[in-house]
Amino acid sequence: MALKLNQSEFEIHRDEQKCISCQVCVRQCSNDVHEYDEDNESIISDNIKCVGCQRCETLCPTGAIRIKQRESEFKYNYNWSPGHLKNIYKQAETGGVILTGMGSDKPYTIYWDHILFNASQVTNPSIDPLREPMEIKTFIGRKPDKIDLYKSSGKNMKNPVFLTNLGPQLEAEIPVLFSAMSYGSISLNAVKSISRAAYEFGTFYNTGEGGLHKDLKKYSESTIVQVASGRFGVDKDYLNSGAAIEIKIGQGAKPGIGGHLPGEKVNYEVSTTRMIPEGADAISPAPHHDIYSIEDLAQLISALKEATEYKKPVGVKVSAVHNIAPIASGIVRAGADFISIDGFRGGTGAAPQVIRDNVGIPIELALASVDIRLREEGIRHNISLLVAGSIRSSSDVIKAIALGADAVYIGTAALLALGCHLCQKCYTSKCNWGIATQDPYLTKRLNPEIGARRLYNLLTAWAHEIKEMLGGAGINAIESLRGNREHLRGIGLSEKELSILGIKHAGEAW
Amino acid sequence: MSNILEDNHLKAKYVIIGNSAAGLSCAEGIRSGDKKAKIMILTNEKFDNYSKPLISYFLAGKIDLKNIFFKDHDFYKKHSLTLLKDFNVKKINFRNKEILSWDDKKVIYEKLCIAAGGVPIIPQVELAFLSEKEEPGNNSNDSHIKHGRSGIKSRIISEIDIKNIDGIFTFTTMDDSLKIKKYVTANKIKESVILGGGLIGLKSAESLLSLGIRINIIEMSGRLLPSSFDKTASEIYEKAFRDKKSSVSVNKTIKRVYIKNNKVVAVETGDGKVIYTDMLVIAAGVKPNIDFIDEETEERKNLVFLRGIKTDKYMRTEVRDVFAAGDIVENKNVLKNSIENIAIWPLAVRQGMAAGQNMAGFFKEYSGGFPMNSVEIFDIPGVAIGITNPDNFDKKHLEIITDYNRDLNVYKKIVIFENKIIGVLLIGNIERAGIFSGLITNKVNVGKIKDLLLKDDFGVIQLPAEYKKHLVTGDAVAL
Amino acid sequence: MQGRLGKVKKIFIREEFCIACRLCEIYCQVEHSKSKKILKAFKEEKDLISRVLVEEVGFNSFAIQCRHCSEALCVEACISGAMIKNKNTGIVICDENKCVGCWMCIMACPYGVIKRNISEKKVASKCDLCGDEEYPVCVKNCPNEALQLRDI
Repeated sequence: MALKLNQSEFEIHRDEQKCISCQVCVRQCSNDVHEYDEDNESIISDNIKCVGCQRCETLCPTGAIRIKQRESEFKYNYNWSPGHLKNIYKQAETGGVILTGMGSDKPYTIYWDHILFNASQVTNPSIDPLREPMEIKTFIGRKPDKIDLYKSSGKNMKNPVFLTNLGPQLEAEIPVLFSAMSYGSISLNAVKSISRAAYEFGTFYNTGEGGLHKDLKKYSESTIVQVASGRFGVDKDYLNSGAAIEIKIGQGAKPGIGGHLPGEKVNYEVSTTRMIPEGADAISPAPHHDIYSIEDLAQLISALKEATEYKKPVGVKVSAVHNIAPIASGIVRAGADFISIDGFRGGTGAAPQVIRDNVGIPIELALASVDIRLREEGIRHNISLLVAGSIRSSSDVIKAIALGADAVYIGTAALLALGCHLCQKCYTSKCNWGIATQDPYLTKRLNPEIGARRLYNLLTAWAHEIKEMLGGAGINAIESLRGNREHLRGIGLSEKELSILGIKHAGEAW
Repeated sequence: MSNILEDNHLKAKYVIIGNSAAGLSCAEGIRSGDKKAKIMILTNEKFDNYSKPLISYFLAGKIDLKNIFFKDHDFYKKHSLTLLKDFNVKKINFRNKEILSWDDKKVIYEKLCIAAGGVPIIPQVELAFLSEKEEPGNNSNDSHIKHGRSGIKSRIISEIDIKNIDGIFTFTTMDDSLKIKKYVTANKIKESVILGGGLIGLKSAESLLSLGIRINIIEMSGRLLPSSFDKTASEIYEKAFRDKKSSVSVNKTIKRVYIKNNKVVAVETGDGKVIYTDMLVIAAGVKPNIDFIDEETEERKNLVFLRGIKTDKYMRTEVRDVFAAGDIVENKNVLKNSIENIAIWPLAVRQGMAAGQNMAGFFKEYSGGFPMNSVEIFDIPGVAIGITNPDNFDKKHLEIITDYNRDLNVYKKIVIFENKIIGVLLIGNIERAGIFSGLITNKVNVGKIKDLLLKDDFGVIQLPAEYKKHLVTGDAVAL
Repeated sequence: MQGRLGKVKKIFIREEFCIACRLCEIYCQVEHSKSKKILKAFKEEKDLISRVLVEEVGFNSFAIQCRHCSEALCVEACISGAMIKNKNTGIVICDENKCVGCWMCIMACPYGVIKRNISEKKVASKCDLCGDEEYPVCVKNCPNEALQLRDI
């Protein structure tokens, strides 16, 4: 048992004057940080076990606990950051890959925060969304090249007949969908919260690679079922249970690598949902072994469409990587109805830290370049563009749409609404908030009624804010904002960045 | 004469004999169905109502006269009940539906509920009246006492003696309690003998002790509360008595009480030991109060089964329009499947309610009961539920699990027959005792949770799922 | 959820959402303390008694308190008239002034939710649905809505 070099990341401050030794903290910590000492009726806390999830701090009835980041963790060194030191110490101890959870927290440029949205003054009036109709409903699916109408002469001229076969569309009440998060990576209660909120609000959630639990079939009209490299839980019934199908090629947090759900998390419920043996590791290969080209992808898309009788849109999810624009173009040509692009700040239940923090590109740049490229190729209307990877607020949503997205996916934001405190320890399966765990003692902590209500509230709030911003800009339908880059201005960005984003700098007029 | 008998004041559709738990519960039961008809309650006492079990608390000074009432003062008014106090029933003429009192009052009923409770059992104890010079216990030969050389007058004790001789008391009514209180104060009593270690004996001991009086309990059987306690349970309390400089003598009787100047001076036990005392409480148990039902009559034979009034599941007796409830009743003991008298408060209330509702024309079943009691003496709480001494059960299917923690003075005993709990004895720690009552009542199979029953954290959560569900159905619980 | 407004309401126990944090017990103790202030109650007062009880076996747990039964066995067993069911609100309340601490109710209650309170005068302590509060404190402070007040 050699000396461990890593120090605690957090300091637990317990105000003894306020602590009533009620032991709520003791009972709530799955990391056994707090311990009740019967002899002197007090509680002792072990800093080194703390992951900083703040569960105890949140539930402490007297506010006696404060979790603080330890300041003087290591001697200051600009080059050798505490992160480097910690990882080296840990790897020197274990010889393993450093795992982490959630999206990258590294200080790369966040382009959302360098883009400003426009508003109307004098020359075109703004609209009050509380008094006038405001449409944020969004249709996701392939749109036709042109629309054929049959116009009869005479009296019926006013009611033309729609002749074009539109193809399947998803109808979302808000251009915000819940990202793919599998049952397995998150608890059933978390999935229940998300699916119910999507259903009640009139938007969609995504099963991820977890299959569709029987309790969730009632929300099938709000479900996007995912087909990933492991093909877990996929059969004809599954494909037909959702409103749409998404083929997962890659994930923003870990482009190019697969997934691994350890056997201990594969309990009876997970195993039946994923259609794998109980206790068996669920390994999603890095590639789909039947997809080595756009043509292969086209084949899978058409197979899935065939299986679902062309009634459901089929999309493809890819990570935002350097070549994203031509890849997207290929996906459109492969016959997909929507493409989901996951930026490098997107979350994950578990990923090698080295991948998460160093691979991929920001979603803002990927989105802009894809939108521009598809327009240039004249195929933008052939596909709906969904973007993901750290959409944090309604303003991120509106900027994404102005940059060309049809809708956004939110994952981390949804989990935050459910109580996640971004401790990034999802991979330990000890989530004190009952989200990223299958331990029944912990999953109970997330009441899906409350979860669904909170998510519904979040969507309601964002919908209000989106409408306010649209109204301010004199726009009364979200459709009119899509790709409307004139409503965006960059700030503090280089010429190159502005050109990739396709926006003017703040201060530049029409 | 007959005109007077027709007097409205002495005629009622419903008449209840008894103004305690069963009687008043019966009145409530009637009123739940019949809001109008006249209800008349007869009591031989002079109080509005009071809780009989509380007389020991009153004696101990733990409650005052104001709080001994278990029903509000406006109870009679609210339910429009006519209360006839000091009505001492002499006999009931069932054929004419008449109730006669000793002072020649007559009440005519349409429907009657007899809820007259119990009266103390007076054991066959001899009273020896000493002259000024004589001393107790110097008569070596018992056979000479009655006509002895010393010429001591003696006779078997009667109810009249208890009334007339100073220092001898029973302890079942408020009157008893008031008398004892007065006597104890006036004579600065320091020590008392209690004949009987049953519930009344223990309750009176509890209150006398709290008044600073040392106690000698003389119990005929081998332990305190013989019907409920076992030897271990009894010993816990016996030790507590000894610690308070009091004593419990088991397997002992009192054969003689010495009286001098019309006052108790000593008692002599069956084995000839003389105990000097100024006070004797006779607490040898109670029996159904059926003296006013004429022994000669046909009805008496029909009404009385063993020693109380037999009732069916609607609390009806064998006599038409006559119901009964409370400590006077003999009904089903669900654990033994026998008919017997179980004189406890909760059953009196339940029977009274059922009787009342049935009198008012609603069929409300009383499904039987089983004994249970709770005591707390010297801060040691004790609860006995059901059959705690299962002598007549097939040993093959009987299981008794016990846990005795001598350090904490906590004793638990659970009697299981055919995988169902039939009796529970808890001494020292009675937390959650009622869960066991529920398991007994509902005959829940505890085969799978036997090991958990004695654990400190035993609770609803460990109960069989089926029963847990049953427990909560309809009562706003989703478990 | 609405306020009480004289309606008959009951606390629903939802086992699947109880997280065994025992905050209900803590707030119940505070509500029934003298000061009704959490720090003062826990630091200065003695023998705080919770009238709600969290039972726990493994990951199963729930908080249980008086069910305010329609045919309350504790009321039936009460020899002092202290335990009374209010016919309008359905609430079963123990009048601690009248209670003599005979424990008949403890013996009768099949839920085992009446407690022996011997801190001063011996009295039976039980849930009073927090009489003057809009919501019982156990319901109000349950972080996971494992306890809910509902109309019946």
